[in-house]
Amino acid sequence: MNFEEKLQKTFSGTSEMLDSEQFINNLTSARYAQALKRSQAISGYLALIVVLFVGILGFNELDQGAILMDGSYYYSTSIDYDQNEGSEYFDDLALYIMEQEDSEYFDDLALYIMEQEEDIWMAFSFLDELEYDKIVNLMEEES
Amino acid sequence: MKTDRELIQEFQRGSDAAFNELVRRYLDLVYRFFQKITPDKMEAEDLSQTVFIKLFKALKKFRFESEFNTYLYRVNVNTANTYFKRNKWRNMLHLDQAPDTGYVETSQEKQWQKEEVWATVVRLPKKQRLVVMMRISQALSFKDIGNILNMTEGSAKVNYHHGIKRVKLLLGNNK
Repeated sequence: MNFEEKLQKTFSGTSEMLDSEQFINNLTSARYAQALKRSQAISGYLALIVVLFVGILGFNELDQGAILMDGSYYYSTSIDYDQNEGSEYFDDLALYIMEQEDSEYFDDLALYIMEQEEDIWMAFSFLDELEYDKIVNLMEEES
Repeated sequence: MKTDRELIQEFQRGSDAAFNELVRRYLDLVYRFFQKITPDKMEAEDLSQTVFIKLFKALKKFRFESEFNTYLYRVNVNTANTYFKRNKWRNMLHLDQAPDTGYVETSQEKQWQKEEVWATVVRLPKKQRLVVMMRISQALSFKDIGNILNMTEGSAKVNYHHGIKRVKLLLGNNK
């Protein structure tokens, strides 16, 4: 027996057959499972792309600082502010917002002192020492 | 009885039943091919399933440039090739632990086990490996092998000659 025949004989033997209907059922299930897996993967990638897109857009919007318009703060570059250009505008704006906040705080504080202090002249002189004349002027206007 | 061509055309028009008919027609051939490649029945069934899943995708665009039979053999061979690559190291490293196949004859003349032969065949260069694989497992003619692997009959013979020489040497060395 030559080498090739010996090799082929290695592979000879009775082979069992599969139940074709069972095989087709398994095949169909496997195909559906694969298709489902693929569609899930595609949906996952799409969701990831949307999240990244929204995230980048949101970051760009919020990264520019606040804009005060009509007494409200907006955190968006989509607003057409059409004023000074570039970052200088935002620096000035931030400063302006801080000043506004400080001013409101001092007004509240002054009012509180005026209301709580029994001797109103003491309060006036205290505010005068601080060179805070907003309330004094207001009082004068009212009287 | 419908021809393969008719069934494929029906499948391309959307009939899954036509594809199932093709599966019924060729399941034995495909399964037998993989039974000769692996001793594990489950693995042979999985590989057969892989082949038919590949066919399900590919036949939708099949343009009848070759016979379906030939095409099927190519898919079988490619799948087997991938399987061998995947198991190359396992086959080489665990040869001594190969399970009892149930197909191994007990006669004195049979000196090798399938795993041993395949572990040797997978060490051949690609073309030689494919030709030897088809010749010894399917006993196909060189002309058919040439058709399936897109090479001339002469080239198939030469590759087989070199491949089998190397297998002989490697198997001889193992003994």
